[in-house]
Amino acid sequence: MKTLVWAEIVKLMKQSKTYYALGAVFLIECLIFITAYYQGSAILDVLLDSLKQSFYFEGTLLNGNLILYIVLNGLWFNVPLIIMIITSGILTDEYKDGTIQTTLLQAVDKGSFIGAKYVVAIGFTLFVIAFMMVSSGILAYTIFGKGDLVVYLQTLNFFPAADAFQRIGWAFASGAVAMLFYSVVSMTLAVWIKEAAKTWIASALFLIITNLLLKLDLGIAIANHFFFPKLMDTWQAFFYHEIDWGLVWLNNTILLGYGVCLIGLGVWTFRKQDIG
Amino acid sequence: MLLGEKLSKTYSSGNVLDNVTVQIVPGQIYGLLGRNGAGKSTLFKILCGLIKPDTGTVSVQAARAKSIGAIIEKPGLYPYLNAADNLRIFAGIQGLSQDKGHMTQHLMKVGLPIDRKDPVRNFSMGMKQRLGIAIALLNDPEYLVLDEPFNGLDPIGVASLIQLIQQLAFTDRIGILLSSHLMVELTKCCHYLYVIDEGKMVNAGFTHQLIQDHIQRFSIAADNIAAAQAIQAYQPVIGMNDVKITCPASQITTVLQQLMAEGIRITACTPELTLEQLIKQPRA
Amino acid sequence: MKIIWMMALLLLTHVGMAQEVDADLMKIKKRLDAVQRFTATVVLDLDVPFIRMPTKTAQMHYEKGKQTRFSSDDFVMLPKRGLDFSFDELFKYPFITVDRGMETRSGQSLKVVHVIPSDNRAELALATLYLDIINQRIMQSEINTRKEGSYTLSMHYAKPSDILPNRVEATFAVERLKIPFNFMGKDTQIDRQQLKSTDKKTGAIKIQIKDYKF
Repeated sequence: MKTLVWAEIVKLMKQSKTYYALGAVFLIECLIFITAYYQGSAILDVLLDSLKQSFYFEGTLLNGNLILYIVLNGLWFNVPLIIMIITSGILTDEYKDGTIQTTLLQAVDKGSFIGAKYVVAIGFTLFVIAFMMVSSGILAYTIFGKGDLVVYLQTLNFFPAADAFQRIGWAFASGAVAMLFYSVVSMTLAVWIKEAAKTWIASALFLIITNLLLKLDLGIAIANHFFFPKLMDTWQAFFYHEIDWGLVWLNNTILLGYGVCLIGLGVWTFRKQDIG
Repeated sequence: MLLGEKLSKTYSSGNVLDNVTVQIVPGQIYGLLGRNGAGKSTLFKILCGLIKPDTGTVSVQAARAKSIGAIIEKPGLYPYLNAADNLRIFAGIQGLSQDKGHMTQHLMKVGLPIDRKDPVRNFSMGMKQRLGIAIALLNDPEYLVLDEPFNGLDPIGVASLIQLIQQLAFTDRIGILLSSHLMVELTKCCHYLYVIDEGKMVNAGFTHQLIQDHIQRFSIAADNIAAAQAIQAYQPVIGMNDVKITCPASQITTVLQQLMAEGIRITACTPELTLEQLIKQPRA
Repeated sequence: MKIIWMMALLLLTHVGMAQEVDADLMKIKKRLDAVQRFTATVVLDLDVPFIRMPTKTAQMHYEKGKQTRFSSDDFVMLPKRGLDFSFDELFKYPFITVDRGMETRSGQSLKVVHVIPSDNRAELALATLYLDIINQRIMQSEINTRKEGSYTLSMHYAKPSDILPNRVEATFAVERLKIPFNFMGKDTQIDRQQLKSTDKKTGAIKIQIKDYKF
């Protein structure tokens, strides 16, 4: 398995589309930064308007933490799309180039082959999230500085700078779990569909439907808890005044569980499939 | 021995293979003749384990980690990597050495340039075939299965590839099964021929025997042959540089002797065997 | 308008008692006037519906006759009213007083005095002061401003001799929060009824003042 994972990493690094994807993520970040800056100013004006009668303010809330929070809100739809394209391509490209046949004609176990692809898909996803976190953090704090974060979630919550920094870090970590889920979904779709373009369409559709279902209230509390779209925005929990760690761990564990089941299903399907 | 016994496979489109048996022995070259869509590729995929047959078994007597190397339909290569990197990837995943020396050795074995660094998407079809064979030969398989290896090659490329295949069989003792619809090429290099049509094995036998049993026409190149008496009884068709006669293999020796007795200087005598003849006439 | 009628009523009913400024208040004012400048650390705790803000610290720089300055490394929300411990604003313009008698609050007997600025330029319309005449200081005040609503201040002192408080609690009316919907945490459930029901509520800010330097 190690040699297969190594080979996948080499292939990923040698393809120009990997770098296009990272560039696209960075570009999206920058665009969201620009809109976040203007959006942030407008938001703060409205939010603080009702407080201006009784208070005046020292310091600024339009800082790196607020920008990062707005960026976080915007990233979780755009970035999965790019991740899903790259991760599904890890398999669909092999079908297109015929290399899947060539590889399985070598002394290589089928299960290990597809397992290595899942491992690299997961690794790539985590790398992208880390890249996003570091690059957006550097940009945000360098340009806008540190400061208190204000978020409206049931109440208007003010978080001191150090606390906000930690919460944002945790939010990225929790969001990474959601991205891992999408990544595994796209790989599993690639196992079933095999063709690149069809897999992208299916992946995009899955992403859109998940985002729509996120807003759907199923009425039954336990269904809301276990229905996977509801778990995708667990990162928001870090911006309530009191963090419900139990809920965070539960949601992410369930989501990881779904991911593991999908990996199992993908590996099982691939092993059963004829090649070619 | 590599044995595929009573193999059948059906898809939704129909019966692709029907009770087919093939046997490959190390050091011998086997040919599989058949029209497009006859079931050659499906048979190869079953032999290589890429597809499971509906019925029948495949057994391989081989002590090596990789018993069969193959190219099926076309060589699957990473277009964005160069030849050496392609080899490295496929060697690496099997835990083989990837050092420069070994890669050079593999490239030289199949006649590929060792200093070419551009990605394989720039390679000609012949070079891709050679690289595909180099990859198929990684990990020293005992058997080699090549599906239409002459596709896209010019006559020089074909001749060169045949030479390589023969070397692999005779020197390295690899059992080779290759398919093609190019009769002449297969009859030149194969010890044994299988003929498949519409998923069924319709003919099989040693090459020389099949030729002997089925050959009905010969092409003879010689000076002034058009006027020769010896050929008049064999429905001669005068061509640009040769004459084609309808004559069973058992009589060609007599015809040639008669021509020589008439003073005709023969420069070539080529049997003309068509696939249709092999398909229509079942094995004896 | 209501405030103007109240003032008129008070003037009419207590015109006899409003001939001069209350002597006890003048003593307290004299004590407060003696404070020319100071710096202090203020620790602010906000208690407003729908707002959760952590305890904040700022440095306060007071100089008589000048705008009080605040500095902080953090973002701080400073109440517009409630940090005027020397009551500069109240005593800035000429005023008249009305003695409203004694009242017991928190077990303490306090003299209640209405203060009415007689200059239209004054931002305050009416102030009700609760005076500790034994220690000569203001314990509580209810301030009605002309344009910026009303608020109350409760002062607590470390020592009987202190003229500047170590704790102040200011309560005031808070307008309904305006929340831009596109800023909500994603998919937050907005309890509109609850939000609407808190149309106008009372908020409070608790201020600790320490490390006075004169």
